[in-house]
Formats: sequence, structure tokens, C-alpha cells
Amino acid sequence: MNIYYTLLKTELQGEQLILDAEKAIYWPRRRVLLLADLHLGKAEHFRREGLPVPMAIRTKNLERIDGLLKKYIPERVIFLGDLFHSLHNKSWTVFCNFLKKRPAISFELVIGNHDILSEADYSAAGLTLHDEPYLQAPFILSHHPQEEILEGYYNLYGHIHPCVYLQGLGKQYMRVACFHFGKYHGVLPAFGEFTGMAKMETVEGDRVFIVVAPQLATETGIVKQVSF
Amino acid sequence: MKFNKSKSFKPALAWFKQNEWKPFPFQKKTWEAYLTGKSGLVNAPTGSGKTYSLMVPILLEFLQQTSPKNPKVKNNGLQVIWITPIRALAKEIKNAGSRAIDALGLNWEIAIRSGDTKTSDRTKQKKKPPEILITTPESLHLLIASAEYSKFFKNLKTVVIDEWHELIGTKRGVQIELALSRLRSKCPALKTWGISATIGNMEQAVEVLLGPEYKNGDWEIIRSKLKKKIVIETVMPDEIERFPWSGHLGITLLPKVLPLIYQSKTTLIFTNTRAQCEIWYQRLLEADGDLAGQIAMHHGSISRELRNWVEEALHTEQLKAVVCTSSLDLGVDFRPVETIVQIGSPKGVARFMQRAGRSGHQPGATSRIHFVPTNSLELIEASAIRTAVKNQKLEARYPYIRSFDVLAQYLVTLATSEGFEPVSTLAEIRTTYAFNSVSDEEWNWLINFITTGGPSMEAYEEMRRVGFHTGLYRIMNKKMATRQRLSMGTIVGNSSMNVKYLRGGKIGQVEEWFISQIKPGETFWFAGRSLELIQIRGMDVIVKKSKKKRGKIPSWQGGRLPLSSQLSEELRQKVSLLSQGEYPDKELKKIKPLTDLQAHRSLVPNENQLLMEYFKSREGFHLLVYPFEGRAVHQGISTLMAWRISQLQPISFTIAMNDYGFELLSDTEIPIDTALRNNVFSTFHLSEDIQSSVNSVEMAMRQFREIAAISGLVFKGYPTKEKRVKHLQSSAELFFKAFADYEPDNLLLVQAYEEVMSFQLEEVRLRAALKRIAGQEIKLMRPPKATPFSFPIIVDRLRERLSSEKLQDRIDKMRLQLVR
Repeated sequence: MNIYYTLLKTELQGEQLILDAEKAIYWPRRRVLLLADLHLGKAEHFRREGLPVPMAIRTKNLERIDGLLKKYIPERVIFLGDLFHSLHNKSWTVFCNFLKKRPAISFELVIGNHDILSEADYSAAGLTLHDEPYLQAPFILSHHPQEEILEGYYNLYGHIHPCVYLQGLGKQYMRVACFHFGKYHGVLPAFGEFTGMAKMETVEGDRVFIVVAPQLATETGIVKQVSF
Repeated sequence: MKFNKSKSFKPALAWFKQNEWKPFPFQKKTWEAYLTGKSGLVNAPTGSGKTYSLMVPILLEFLQQTSPKNPKVKNNGLQVIWITPIRALAKEIKNAGSRAIDALGLNWEIAIRSGDTKTSDRTKQKKKPPEILITTPESLHLLIASAEYSKFFKNLKTVVIDEWHELIGTKRGVQIELALSRLRSKCPALKTWGISATIGNMEQAVEVLLGPEYKNGDWEIIRSKLKKKIVIETVMPDEIERFPWSGHLGITLLPKVLPLIYQSKTTLIFTNTRAQCEIWYQRLLEADGDLAGQIAMHHGSISRELRNWVEEALHTEQLKAVVCTSSLDLGVDFRPVETIVQIGSPKGVARFMQRAGRSGHQPGATSRIHFVPTNSLELIEASAIRTAVKNQKLEARYPYIRSFDVLAQYLVTLATSEGFEPVSTLAEIRTTYAFNSVSDEEWNWLINFITTGGPSMEAYEEMRRVGFHTGLYRIMNKKMATRQRLSMGTIVGNSSMNVKYLRGGKIGQVEEWFISQIKPGETFWFAGRSLELIQIRGMDVIVKKSKKKRGKIPSWQGGRLPLSSQLSEELRQKVSLLSQGEYPDKELKKIKPLTDLQAHRSLVPNENQLLMEYFKSREGFHLLVYPFEGRAVHQGISTLMAWRISQLQPISFTIAMNDYGFELLSDTEIPIDTALRNNVFSTFHLSEDIQSSVNSVEMAMRQFREIAAISGLVFKGYPTKEKRVKHLQSSAELFFKAFADYEPDNLLLVQAYEEVMSFQLEEVRLRAALKRIAGQEIKLMRPPKATPFSFPIIVDRLRERLSSEKLQDRIDKMRLQLVR
């Protein structure tokens, strides 16, 4: 009998971390919530270009963040890059208002390739900006995977939107988002709705935690370690 | 004016006589019908003089009505649009037209407008329209997307749609219906004429083409009586025992194809896929070095320039053989071609006859086609196809209806040029066969879709493709207009990259996923050349020639063609003969040892039996069912069966199928007896059950890819600045999921399901098949292991999935896929 949690505790570099089925990591000792690749405003960006993406996606993203904030009550939320999909649009204002209503929390951003908003936009949101790599011992926080890893450190990054393939008897297989922890690098699944996924190469010794969103209202999300 | 036949025909008959030609009866009949003001359809095969059946009366009408005194008058404005689905035919039509114009002493201009036409020529055509414009469906839409198109079309008398049988079953056919509806309202006296080879639903083809004209009855179908004699030879394997049970490549019989090449002046070798074409070409050269320089390859992903070269070389008799795909099904006749080879099942009678007809062009000559089976069971197909050809059982081509993707694209097209007025445009659209059932609600949804982006979005102002000004819907800005024009060619095509030499020179296109497997410095084979990848630059794959003999061969994604209903029916009869131990021809005789083994391990069913096989292997529990209905119908029945069984208990299936049957594979025992007791093949609640199951089988998602591209959801980028649009990259899958979650009644989503039902699963055939099964005795066999019938299905890795188990339970049983 398996018991499913919407979160799972694991240890990394001597630190206890909570992997949440909402595609987030919570670091209890430092009270930090880590989120990667939100791609906020992607729907609006598409719509502005005449591509009709349903707008409800925006609401959904913020609802999910709100859920996590209530669940963990973090002091800091660090976004590991690609927070906003493209140039400024209305979604940013909505997001700024969302942050302003939560003055007790420090929201911080490690800059990623999609983060091309102006200084003014970021300061309007009250975001603290970090260039990558951003060191929070024992972790190196970044958007892209880092090549140089300092002794005793471990790199947590985003960018890739990782997923893995599961296989079973009867030629069954499934493609699912995941947290993927290698020897020196760990990658977070993309938090944002309306984002794609890329397959992770997995080798012996890697730890893979799949994340599956609930398919029905009666189900809970799944986060589960899988092996070969 | 009263129609006087002999007087009207006189100039044309004189010209024919001068050339020692005699008009065919169908040509004269068409002339008369045309000159009495009718619309209609000419049913004649390629190369039968069909062009002159319409070109001649068009010119005669001008002589007698518009300008009897001064035939030399110039600049009469655009009189005729001649639509052809293939650019290659345009030149031949133009030459034929020019000859007729000269002979009848007119001063008309005839011009081609297609994707290949230079911008300067297009501008010229726009300023001073030719009297006859030969064009493709896409280019016609582009004309409608250009400013002041009404002026351009104002003198138009006639639209001719050539090769209508090729267009009717496609979305390009819907494009034509829409373009015609607009042209008819701009030019109320417009005549519409189609030219079509024989198909199973001739009358419907006319109805679709003529739209409102069909109802007033002033039209005619004119059939040519010309028939070609076809001889079919099967290339036989020496020993059936050593011939493969599965596979679709057919290389085993390559040594027997070589002598065929040497026996004829020129041979066309038809393969079913582009990858198969590449492999056969390479293997032929390996098997016989003397063929180097004497054979070539032709398929749709090879660049236009290379294909032109091959076609030219075919005309001038420089090639012994060309390995090709359906890319050479149509088009200009190549006189030197004497022999046709078909590798693997052609899947349809009409296609097979069309290919056979590419040899033996002289009137009365015999067409010769050699069928090369790629696996044992295809010998039964060989026998079936011979009977079907003999009985002239041709397939119907069903038109698309309610293609909202095409309609959305068309509305934005109208908005891009002169704008459209909603009330009259809706009325116009409802005159088409495809959209006569569009409701007001659906129309409003579409208008919302192209303006604000959907029904629930009024609050947001960002999304504006098309806006409403002074009674007209018009495109919002230049950027949107450019994008619309660029995406209009995307009715066909996948995300492909251009393969080019470092020093320039385009070789063709491969799909992005294939190139992603190859690293710089590695070699791959494409267009019959060994190529080394140097680098990828934007959408270009830069290569140089390589000396390496081996390399990966690209394949292109695309559906597998299902066996047509006509051919499946013949196939079932042949299998039934086999079950009774009758072997009336050499193909069936040859396969006897195999069917004996099938009968030994399981059963060869007769026409009153439905064979099912159930056995266990290391992979799980296999349930095989053999309706012999073609893969489209099998997809439907298998999905239905899997879904119904999954309602009995939580269970997961993967499903594979071919044209003979299908397999449900599960990791647990399948409750077959319970399923059969519960009438698993019943037609009761058929649509509902299929809809519910399709939901979970991702078919609709795949169907949605094309819909997303056509309706402009997925934008592939501007030709010169791919990088800039990176933030706009998305996939049809993302849209599909977003719509399914947040906007389930989205019409394009609904369309995906409807297309799955009517085109992929062929609902009409599916119902007929289930009805037939209901009258059959079910024979459930339990063979100890795989049988000759089951083997090709079991080894197929391309599978559908369906599950009623909880996700969590399924995940528990799964493991990480290893890195290969």
C-alpha cells in the first residue's frame, strides 16, 4: 500500500527540503520557498500577438502561489528565473498588486533569459534582484545550470522544464514533470501553466521525483520518488 | 443569343483538323454544355485531352459573345481562373492554353501565379491582369487577401478546378469552396467547372463544387469513355517460409526488382513513405553500382529545384528509374516511363490505378504495374487488389465539413484585404457545402475568436487580431496582416528545417526532431546523398558532402494510410477463400504454408466468423481481434472495446493495429468473457462511448495539431527572423490542454473531436463494421504463442493508450525509462 502526499521530505547537502506536488521546493531551516520558470504573462503576450490563449491561466498561477504561501508561511520566496515571459503587459501589474498585498514576505528573483523587464518594472514589484549564481550556502541558486560548483555547494536551477518517461509492462509509458537531482545539480520543474517540458537524461545514481497534477477534483497531486 | 452548335464549334474544329486531331465525344459534349451557359464537371483521366474540353469553349465563348468582330482585342481583364492542386501541372496547362489562344487568333494573355511566382511578376499581374490565370488554392486565397481584389476579379466569367478529385477530400477543397462563395457573390454570372478522375462519389463531388448552382440544376457531368488496360504482376518471394511476417520495407525482394529496371526504358518505383524511398534508393545503388547516375529519387521533402531536375531528366529519357512517393502520383506524364513498381500495399484501389496509369501513355496502350509485397500477408492484398481493379471498385472521397479552422483563417484573410461585412458574409458562407449548417451561435463564437480571442475574454483588451470599423471587420495592424499572409500556406507541412550546402544550394527539408538527434560532424543520408552536418543556423541545417557510406536516414512524421473500405472488403473475401482451402490464384497458393500455420495454431476465419486470439507473454496479456476492416476502423473498434472493458474494472491498455486487426495489451488479465457477455461490440451508445474514450486516447490532441496551425494558433515564425519570435513559440498540445481545461466548448476543440470521428475513425464505416460483426460468430482462440496474423501487430511499437486505473496505481507499477 502506497501513501501519497502532496509533499515529500528529502535531504540534500545535509539540508532538509520539502518537495511539493505544486512544483515548488520549501527549505524549512531558512524559511525559503523556491519556484522556477513561472513564465507569467505568457498568455497575455500570446494574446497581444493575436493568439487566443485562455486568460484563466493567469488566475491559476497566482492561486497556486497563494496556496503555497499559506501552506508554508515562508519569509522569502526566490524565483529561479523566467519569472515573466516577455515584455511588460497587464499581467505584471496584477502580479505587482499580488506581491504588495504580502509585505511580510521578501520576493526575490534570480535573473533568467526571459527576464527582460525594465529596472522600473522590477522595483515597482518590490522584487530584490540577484544575478546568477546566487549563493545561499550550501546551495548555489541559478536559472541556468552552473558549470563551476564550489566545494561543499550544490546547484539548484530551473530553465529546463524537466520531465522523464516512465515505463511499465504492456508497453505502457507516461511523460511526467519531475524534480531531478544529480550529483552536483538539481533542477526544479517549471511552475507556470502553459509551459512545455523537455526530457531529462537520467543516469544511475540520480534521484528523480515525479510530480503529477491531480486529474480529478477528488485526487491529490502526486510527488513520488521513482527508480529504474 | 441562340446557341448554334456548328457555327460555334467551327474555329475549333478547323484547328483540330489542321493538326489531324479529332475531338473526343466528351470534349464536344463539354463544349456544348459550356457554351449553353452551364456549369459542371468533366470526368476524365489525366492526359486524355481534358484541358481542351474546357479551354476551347472558354475561348469560343469569347469569340462569339464578347468580341466577334475584333478577336484581337487586348486587356480584357481577368476572364478565367484555372485552379490546379499541383504547381507542376500549371506549366502544361499554360502551354496548352497558349496553343489554343494562338490557333483561334485571340490576343489573350495566360499566366501562372503560385508560390514560385516572382514578386515583380505578381505586381505586373495585379496591374494588368492576364485573361487566364492558372493558380493553386493557396495562391487564390492570397489574392483575396490582397487589397482591391474586387477590382481584379470584376470581369471574371469562369473558374475551372482541375484535379478536383485530389482536392475534394482535403481542407484545400474547403478553401476552394470558400473562395468560390466569395467569387460568386462578386460575379453573379460565374460558371464553375471541375475536372476530376473517377471517384466513388461523383455526384457529391459536383454538389460540393457547385454549391448553390447545384440546387438550380443547370449543370452536367460529362464522362469520357476512355479506359486504360492495366496488367498487375506480383513479384513473388521464392520461399514463403523465409519471407518476413511483418515489416513494410520490402528490401528482401530488391534483387527481383533490379531486372525489372533493366527490362524497361524507364521505371517508376513507388514507395509509401519518404523514409522508405530514401532507403530503397540507397539499397538499389548498393546492390548494383552500375545504376549510379542512372537512377534518381523524388519525394515531397526534396527541394523544388532537385525535383524539377529529376522531372526534366525523366522527360528526356536520361534515367533508368526513379524511386518516388506519392509526389509523382500526379502531374505531367513522362512519356519514357514503361514500367511501374509498387513497393508495399497501396492501401487503395484508385491510388493503385492512378500509379499504374503513369506508364503506357499512347492511346490504347497497356499499363503495367509490378506489386512488391513487403511481408507475407501482403500477398493476400495483392490478390485482393487485382480483383478490385478488375471490378473497378473505386473509393469515394468525402469532403470535409464544418472545418472551423479553415473558416477562421478565411475570415482573417477577408479582414486582411477589404474587410468583411458580417451579415452578407455569413449568408455567403452558408451557401457552401462545408458550412451550410453553421449556426448563429457558432458564427458569433468565430467572430469572437478572431477579435477578442474567445467568449470569456471581453474584460481584456490585449487580444485584437481583427476589429470592427464602420460596418466591416478588418485586420488591426500591418504586423497581423503580414503574419496572416505568411501562415496561409500552412495547411500542409510540419515543423521542418531547410537542408543546405555550405556554399549554398537547397537540398530539401527534414523535420526538426530528426536533426536534433545528429551532432555536428556526424553523417546522415538524405536525397540520396551522404551529408555531414556542419552546423544549425536558425532554421537552416548546413551540410557538406561526406564520403561515409552509412548514416542515419531521416523519416518524416505522418499518419499511416488506412486500407480503403473497397480493398478491405476484397481482402475479407480472399481470407474467407483461404479458410475454405481455396487457392484460385498464385498469390494465395504461395501463402498456403503460412495460413496452414495460422490454422494450426489458431484459425483462419471465414466470412461468418470473427477471429479473436488471447494469450500471455512476457510483455503481458494479448487480446487480438481481426475484423479485416482497415486501420481506421480498427482504431475505432479497438478504442471502443478497450474503453468498454475498462468500465468493467480498472485496467490499462496499450493498443496497436494494422489493416487486418488490432491488439489490446494489458499488464493484467483481460476479462474477455464478461466483455463479450456485455455486448462489447454493440452499436448502442456508440458515439457517446467513443467520445468518452477518445478523450483519454489523445487522438483528438493529435488531430488538433493541424487545426491549430490552420486557424493561426501556432505561429511558425517569419522566414528571415526566426529568433525574434522565440517568445511566441508554443505547441498545439499546450493550446489543446489550455482549451480543454479552461474553455472546453471551444469550437476548434470540438472540431478536433468531430474530425477524429468522421475522418480518423470513419464513423460511417465503423457502424457498418460493427453491424457486420454483430452477425458473426465469435471464435475466441487461445494459441500457445503469436500467430502469423498477430505477429505484425504485436511488434508494432506505435501504440495508443487507454486506462481506467487511478493514475497513482499506474505510476506505482512503472519505472524510469533507461537512457538509450
